[in-house]
Amino acid sequence: MSQAALEANQPRIGAHPGRLGNALFGGSAWIFAILVLVLLAGVMISLISGAWPAFQHFGVSFIWTEVWNPNRARYGALAPLYGTVVSSVIAMVIGVPISLGIAIFLTELCPTYLRRPISTAVELLAAVPSIIYGMWGLFALVPLMQKYIEPAIIGSLGNIPLIGDLFQGPPYGIGLFTAGLILSAMVLPYMVSIMRDVFETVPPQLRESAYGLGATTWEVIGSVVLPYSRVGVIGAFMLALGRALGETMAVTFVVGNSYHIMKSILAPGATISSSLANEFAEADGLQLSSLLAEGFLLFVLTFTVIGMARLMLLRLQRKYG
Amino acid sequence: MSEPHLTLQTASAPPQILVDPAANPKIAVRGLDFFYQTGHRALKDINLSVAERYVTAFIGPSGCGKSTLLRVLNRIYDLYPGQRATGQVLLDGEDILSPRYDVTQLRAKVGMVFQKPTPFPLTIWDNIAFGVNLYEKLSKPDLDARIEWALRKAAIWEEVKDKLKRNGASLSGGQQQRLCIARAIAVKPEVILMDEPCSALDPISTARVEELILELANDYTIVLVTHNMQQAVRTADFTTFMYLGEIIEFGQTEQIFSNPKEQRTQDYVTGRFG
Repeated sequence: MSQAALEANQPRIGAHPGRLGNALFGGSAWIFAILVLVLLAGVMISLISGAWPAFQHFGVSFIWTEVWNPNRARYGALAPLYGTVVSSVIAMVIGVPISLGIAIFLTELCPTYLRRPISTAVELLAAVPSIIYGMWGLFALVPLMQKYIEPAIIGSLGNIPLIGDLFQGPPYGIGLFTAGLILSAMVLPYMVSIMRDVFETVPPQLRESAYGLGATTWEVIGSVVLPYSRVGVIGAFMLALGRALGETMAVTFVVGNSYHIMKSILAPGATISSSLANEFAEADGLQLSSLLAEGFLLFVLTFTVIGMARLMLLRLQRKYG
Repeated sequence: MSEPHLTLQTASAPPQILVDPAANPKIAVRGLDFFYQTGHRALKDINLSVAERYVTAFIGPSGCGKSTLLRVLNRIYDLYPGQRATGQVLLDGEDILSPRYDVTQLRAKVGMVFQKPTPFPLTIWDNIAFGVNLYEKLSKPDLDARIEWALRKAAIWEEVKDKLKRNGASLSGGQQQRLCIARAIAVKPEVILMDEPCSALDPISTARVEELILELANDYTIVLVTHNMQQAVRTADFTTFMYLGEIIEFGQTEQIFSNPKEQRTQDYVTGRFG
């Protein structure tokens, strides 16, 4: 071998990261990762310290007191907590079946030429800014709700014994139900795209063996596709629920911002994030602290949802894995 | 022709004439062509008779069309838009390629076992019950009895009888494949298609599945695609050698391996190509 070739084969010291380079890169990767934990702890600490005066003043009963009166400086988180949970539940009740249907259609039934346009449209829904949903809700959806949809609901469902109370009262247009409806449209794309990806992981041989036994599409979906992908499907629901609980702008536009808990889900209400968005800029003293306490409760709520999802997935995996 | 240098079977065994498949075929393929979405013609003018209650093997190098042919026999290719078959495939004299032939009914008669074990993500019990419930409404005791029957038939009952409520995926690969065979048997088909059923299995599991194939041939017509020539010799009564989408030679397994009429068959079975 010539001298030049030998030299070319020598490791080029300058380009090689070496010991120091490895340590630097490894160390910075560590720091970035730890940073997440530090940030989370920081948020937690500032929330707790900010909320402390409110909890000290009102005690734990802050959580289950239904009053929000800045004039008398009396605050309780029950109404926004209730509104947050109810609007998210409404969003899930409406959104889950629809997104399940879309995802199943896209993976199992859709002709190839329609698959891309529909998938893209669903993904574009996720790209619409939250404030646009809010404005659309207020200017387009609310009048429709007020004029046609809510009167129809009140006239029909409102007369059923036991659950009738949930659908009574005047048709305001704005309220928890409208907020839930908008939320369902907002969380839909997340659920659809996760579920579609999960359904596509079902091995083609598994589908073929079910079809090979003579199963129909319906039977294949029910007995093969859904059981195979149940972990991912539940994951999609929980992620969507987490988003619905914390969604702010769109909800603030249409929820009505009333701190009274009404029996009817059509009535105006408030969610934690809507009350924060409305009042945070002008609040100080005890009110600010109460808002921070609400934020802390929202944090705990979403944390619990995600924790429960993890637990459920673990149990499922143990049972079927 | 000179004696082929083969040790696949004992030279002293007298040639035994089994049956003429063309006389009363269970499945008769007539002038079958098959096209993929791309327009690629994967099967060219296939003519073949499959004898009832015998094992018929398809052999040939990769890409010769043997799996494609198998997938026509229960129309599983229907799932993929753009794939089409022309010609005739007669099952008991009726053309299954005709649009009037009910595909669900076809698949009840013609079961399939795949290359990789494909247990459904359900319990062992539900895996078998799934197929049965598609066609019959059995009472719980009858269903239990049918499931036990199928699992016994597939020689896996002793291994799973205490864990019927466990997930099918918890079994070993060989057990999963026998579970899939039990699932195919449970709907009481007439024909069982097997697409390289042992290629994902270890030698011991392979031996068990091969034993099972011989056993099942007493009651069912079996069509087997295999890469493994020894497996064809051990299990098949008839063998079809395919190459580039055509049937080169069809005959009794013994004749195909010991006294092939075609040079290409001879080259393939003696390992000169493929």
